[in-house]
Amino acid sequence: MKSKISVIIAVLLIIAFITLPFYINVDTSYFAYYLFLVFCYITVAQGWNFVAGYTGQISLGTHAFFGLGAYTTGIIWLRDITKTGYYFDPVLMVLSGLVPVILAIIVGIPLLSRLRGDYFAFGTLGVGQIVTVIFVKARQVTGGADGLHLPSAVFESMKPYYWTSFILAFFATAVVYFITRSRIGLALRAIKEDETSAASHGIHILKYKVFAFSVSAFLAGLCGSLYGIYLFHINPDSVMNLNNWMFYPLLMCVLGGNGTILGPIIGSFFVSAIFSFGDVYFKGTHPIFSGLLIILVMRFMPGGLVGLKDRILSRG
Amino acid sequence: MWEYITFGLIVQLFVSGILFGTMYGIAAIGLSLIFGTMRIIFFAQGAMIVFFAYICYWFFTLLGIDPYLSLLLIIPLSLLLGVAFYYGLFKGAAALEDRVSSLLIAVGLIFLLENLMTVLWTADPRSIVTAYTSYVLRPWEINMPFTRLMALLIAVLSTAGVLLFLKKTLIGTAVRAASEDVVSTALMGINPNWVNAIAFAIGIGLTGIAGVTLATVYSFDPVYGFVFALKAMIALALGGFGNVVGALLGGILLGLIESLGSFFVGAGWNEAIAFVVFLLVLSFKPEGLFGRSVEKG
Repeated sequence: MKSKISVIIAVLLIIAFITLPFYINVDTSYFAYYLFLVFCYITVAQGWNFVAGYTGQISLGTHAFFGLGAYTTGIIWLRDITKTGYYFDPVLMVLSGLVPVILAIIVGIPLLSRLRGDYFAFGTLGVGQIVTVIFVKARQVTGGADGLHLPSAVFESMKPYYWTSFILAFFATAVVYFITRSRIGLALRAIKEDETSAASHGIHILKYKVFAFSVSAFLAGLCGSLYGIYLFHINPDSVMNLNNWMFYPLLMCVLGGNGTILGPIIGSFFVSAIFSFGDVYFKGTHPIFSGLLIILVMRFMPGGLVGLKDRILSRG
Repeated sequence: MWEYITFGLIVQLFVSGILFGTMYGIAAIGLSLIFGTMRIIFFAQGAMIVFFAYICYWFFTLLGIDPYLSLLLIIPLSLLLGVAFYYGLFKGAAALEDRVSSLLIAVGLIFLLENLMTVLWTADPRSIVTAYTSYVLRPWEINMPFTRLMALLIAVLSTAGVLLFLKKTLIGTAVRAASEDVVSTALMGINPNWVNAIAFAIGIGLTGIAGVTLATVYSFDPVYGFVFALKAMIALALGGFGNVVGALLGGILLGLIESLGSFFVGAGWNEAIAFVVFLLVLSFKPEGLFGRSVEKG
């Protein structure tokens, strides 16, 4: 009964979000921009959730995958490589998701086979910083610190951004939902609980870990591509920002409830609301309060906002 | 470039690197103690260092207290703050061994401190200029700024102090025991909270010391701290997690890598080089370059 109600609520919310541009003016409304950001964060946060919440590997290099996705979009577009339409071109976006996957596999195999737990977290942080330095330094390809300027004349309306961000968030949630409910998901959870025991039951640990890491990189890259198209100006400061694209998604997952399907969604809505609210009403000083809030929530609710409900809604 | 290289220049690069690296070393010792007992990297370390640099700056500009003299005030202050931080913020997360929560609390602290400092002291870089700031010793044509030599001296003294405390006192022994095995230590009747609080106090105390040396050597701004914390983490990995002397040596080695790297490769690559070394050490020698072989944390 309860699960039926929640399905109905979910469907109604999805319809409301899809049809929103027909009721309010997406181009001028701050609320629509807020939702756009929330959907972007959900996409990245679900990816992180998949690696940390379900597989138990804490990655601190999400910003590198996000930035790599954005840069791939910029480079393909400016160099006219695929000869497709580029502006909201699915080929371009999928390619921007796949390039981070290549990086995830290249760094994932050595890191995940040699490093565990905290050491893996530090290693991914290192990889993230190395990638950032390379992008600042490879001036011929990436434009250095100034970055890439995409032709912004193609911009017409916020509407396609809004819908695409929603599709990405929906896609990310669906991917994580269905994978975690499959045999692969069982294997990943077994790895999280006890690696030695999982290995003794015939689970190829490295293969599954690299797979989870790659899925997360793909989602971050997709979102990076969209965000790159939104900004029209891709530079290390905006798309490889350690706070925006690594700590915030992590924060959203943990605040919402790590290892649950609803956690990243609730966390993204909640954290973005606080940051947006602070940005509008306490310009300049709001990170003080955001910082305080993070501390208080983590101090008193280490399990996140999804408390009891996740048992009913998502623990399958 | 190669034709400019002389013996003197190489020596100068080495000396600068060592003097530079001692600051990373002090910060890394603090990280090492906290990591030892709680198994977390306290990323807000850098923000704390900058915070104490500003406190030192205030003592100097408002009250006219000499930066090195202000250590007498800053060390007790920072020790107290460390205990308060542990009991106020990290106790719950430590009890649950919830490292992601601890990490996020540290991130929250970074946001809080960085922006508080921006409001209090603006985003403009500040520095302390005293009579001896520009004083440079020149033995054998090698430039050794006085303030950096003092930083080295302070680093060596604090390392020695921390080592003596860990080896010679009962509390120190408890901290060492807890870094080896928390559960057995608790079974021996040592309160883990107490040990964690001590480790935290010393860790934050060292940020106070590092803050003062930073204030005397460089100009600093509110967001300078995070990069510093990352560097301290690298130094920690080079020296071996949980190894106090190793942390100082790791800091010095990192200083050398940066000094030589910025001359031979270019300053912009420093961070990448440092992290490549960091990854190599993590992968192939996780016990650190100077440590005895210990089990992975």
